[in-house]
Amino acid sequence: MTISELITLLRQDITQNYRMRGAKGARTEKKTLNRPILWTIGGIVVGVIIIAAVLWIGPIIGWDVISQIVSENLGLGSTIFNAILLFAFLGSIMFAATTVGNSERMEYLLVMPVEMRTIFMEKYLLLIIYSSIFWLVIGTPIIIGFSILAAHPIGYLSILAFVILVLSEVTIGTSIGGLLGLAFAKVLAGRRRLKQIGWAIMTSLGIVVGSLWYASIYLGEGAGWFNQIIDIAMALGFASDLTPGYYVSVMTLGLLVGAPLSIQHFFATLLIPLSAGGLLYLNSYVSELAHYSGWMRSESKRTPKEKVLEEHPPWNPNPFPRLQMSITTSVSMWYNLTSVKRESKVFTQYLLGPLRYLIWLILPVFAWGDELLFILPYMLTAALVSLAVSYGVSFAGYETVYEGRNLMNLQLAAANMSDYVKGKVLSAVPFTIAAASIVGVFYLIFLPATWFQIPAMVIGCIFVNLVAGAIAANAGASNGDFKAERMFTRQRGAAVRPPIKGLAIIKAQLIPNAYGYMGLFGLVLGSTFIATVYGLLVGILALYLLLPVFALISLRLYRSYSFKAGVKLAQLEASEYL
Amino acid sequence: MIEVLTLTKVFNEFTAVKGLSFTVNPGEIYGLLGPNGSGKSTTMRMILGLLRPTEGTARVNGHDIKKEIVKAKKVMGYVPEEPVLPERLTGWEYVNYVSDIWKVPRGVEREEDIEELLTLLDIKDASDDLIETYSKGMSRKISLVAALVHKPQVLILDEVQAGIDPRGAATIKEILNGLRSRGATILMSTHVLEIAEQMCDRIGIINEGEMVAEGAMDELKVQAQGQSSLEEIFLTLTGGPDMQLIAQFLGEESGEMM
Ligand SMILES: Nc1ncnc2c1ncn2[C@@H]1O[C@H](COP(=O)(O)OP(=O)(O)O)[C@@H](O)[C@H]1O
Ligand SMILES: [Mg+2]
Repeated sequence: MTISELITLLRQDITQNYRMRGAKGARTEKKTLNRPILWTIGGIVVGVIIIAAVLWIGPIIGWDVISQIVSENLGLGSTIFNAILLFAFLGSIMFAATTVGNSERMEYLLVMPVEMRTIFMEKYLLLIIYSSIFWLVIGTPIIIGFSILAAHPIGYLSILAFVILVLSEVTIGTSIGGLLGLAFAKVLAGRRRLKQIGWAIMTSLGIVVGSLWYASIYLGEGAGWFNQIIDIAMALGFASDLTPGYYVSVMTLGLLVGAPLSIQHFFATLLIPLSAGGLLYLNSYVSELAHYSGWMRSESKRTPKEKVLEEHPPWNPNPFPRLQMSITTSVSMWYNLTSVKRESKVFTQYLLGPLRYLIWLILPVFAWGDELLFILPYMLTAALVSLAVSYGVSFAGYETVYEGRNLMNLQLAAANMSDYVKGKVLSAVPFTIAAASIVGVFYLIFLPATWFQIPAMVIGCIFVNLVAGAIAANAGASNGDFKAERMFTRQRGAAVRPPIKGLAIIKAQLIPNAYGYMGLFGLVLGSTFIATVYGLLVGILALYLLLPVFALISLRLYRSYSFKAGVKLAQLEASEYL
Repeated sequence: MIEVLTLTKVFNEFTAVKGLSFTVNPGEIYGLLGPNGSGKSTTMRMILGLLRPTEGTARVNGHDIKKEIVKAKKVMGYVPEEPVLPERLTGWEYVNYVSDIWKVPRGVEREEDIEELLTLLDIKDASDDLIETYSKGMSRKISLVAALVHKPQVLILDEVQAGIDPRGAATIKEILNGLRSRGATILMSTHVLEIAEQMCDRIGIINEGEMVAEGAMDELKVQAQGQSSLEEIFLTLTGGPDMQLIAQFLGEESGEMM
């Protein structure tokens, strides 16, 4: 492996994914807006604003004060630095396994006279860069701002330390996630039945264990029932000042304020980039092994003459039993569920991926303890709304885009595309009901007083889910990349293009979230208020009178966006998806 | 030179290639001929180092693919059956990229070479377009340009003529003939008899992963007891159509139509 090979590979990949120059050719569509340049400018603007803000606010507080506070608490940033590592880990559990699993698409790379591990490493590097950008764009200007305030030469070193250490942390998180995924793929290789549930178990384990680790840091000592877990974590060496985040914090902030740092500390911190490099190499090496020995290859799409390797349910467009809806909708719902479930990894990702946001939203409440318990219902509601929106986005938005070539069949069959879209949107509803009910049980256990709101919450969520699905499908229909493959590397937007472009996907997430927050919070807050003032009975009455209003508005939105999406899909030109 | 030594590939329990051995000499075009699913692509993938042989090995210009795969890859050019290419690069950028990886020195000479190949294969005017806009035939052609640009000593072509217009096919044939006379080792696969007959010096007929006959055309004729056309030889060795099933199907069809 040589650096120059790595750079050649990386350069091409970056040209490919973030083309600054458009292609000149006559066949290639010209874009008026150059998105990569816009994003770069946006990043710089954000950076400048942050620096300006720090330079403006800093002197008001006074550098002396800041410097003193920081010097006394060099571990101040541990939580956030540990969170960076954790996020990288959670987001990448299956990345390596997917990359290797899709290596057929990299055949043109794999025949090159370069060691395969170099090729895999390049892919991982791209993911690392991609996952670090957010932290770097936000964090670097903050550190730059403060080092300008600090105005001593060593202070500027903190910028370098920050960048290197954040990149290292993301590398560690990503590589551990990648190795875990590969290990799991090895265990599951060739075991079809186990694979179905295997990915689900593994992803949830990853998310739960990771989040508990985070929680143990977050909570520190003495937070009720979490104590035991923390004890175990401490015994394993996971307490806050033994974590990488602690060392990153002490090094960065220490340099910033010019605090004396021990030699031991320097060496301990040096271990972070070193282990990052080692883990990255190990991940690439294991990927090479996995590819060449073919752990992932058993899921063949080709069917040998005598033996059927993988049994799939046949294409059987029966309407869903006992559901009163158009045949097209019903068939579409069935098809969507079947094709998502067929790929266990995708299914898992769709269902469990959003869990990590949920955990993040709820944890702080536990952290603050009993006084803030009254916030819990709102946090849970917020989490639930986000979950309903995520399900809508993946089942309706992404899956509409992943129809790809199948759109031709639909267009030729003159299927009613709006009904087809509705089917996709509806296919997420069972999962939303399930998730909402589980959260509902939580409510009942921890906050029995809210019992009267629980059914309204569950029903409200279903409608949020419908709206989110329809909006996402519409975003997909107008801004989808219909040639995208259903791989989650793409869903996460990592290293490869996301299926729905730039701003459209952000809007498709934000609008339904805002709508759901307003709607459900309105219902919860309103009815709580009325119940306190006019008595419980009036509160319940008000809630269940307002709920249908919310439902009706939601249904209108659902219909109108599904209709729009359908019209767009029907008019889509074949060159978009073929 | 390619030496294939009892190559075997087992997928799960299914054996796709069974102890295949053959040699392709420099200055020779060797054709792997066989029905769909007989293991041609799998054999090539093993030689290319994309799949690990379950048993056996191959040597490319003396480099054992199990031990010195990077060295072997260095001298090989490959055109896959269905090229998956970097869609967001232009044809020109892709070929340049491949040249960089194979360390073809940059400069006027390289640019001229690329231009020549692009012109020969009629895709020069599309070379500034993103590959995602290419048709299947165009992808195959750009893939061929990329395979040739580093002047490989060993060329591996998987069903290269499929989906290519007659003019393109004729060009490819001429290019391959030219390369052969300059001493290149060429391994190609096809399920089309005429192509094998016209282009290959020697042919290996494989069926269900096994070599059933091998040799130059006239040797094959001797082996197949006097049958004269390659088609007859092929059908004798790999099994002809199931006439009874065909009759049954046609019967059903006509019944339905009425
Ligand atoms: N990755 C794979 N996993 C399982 N079976 C495979 C895989 N690749 C090929 N096969 C099987 O091996 C056999 C030979 O395939 P292939 O070499 O592509 O045939 P050919 O190129 O001669 O048409 C086929 O039966 C095919 O289904
Ligand atoms: Mg083939």
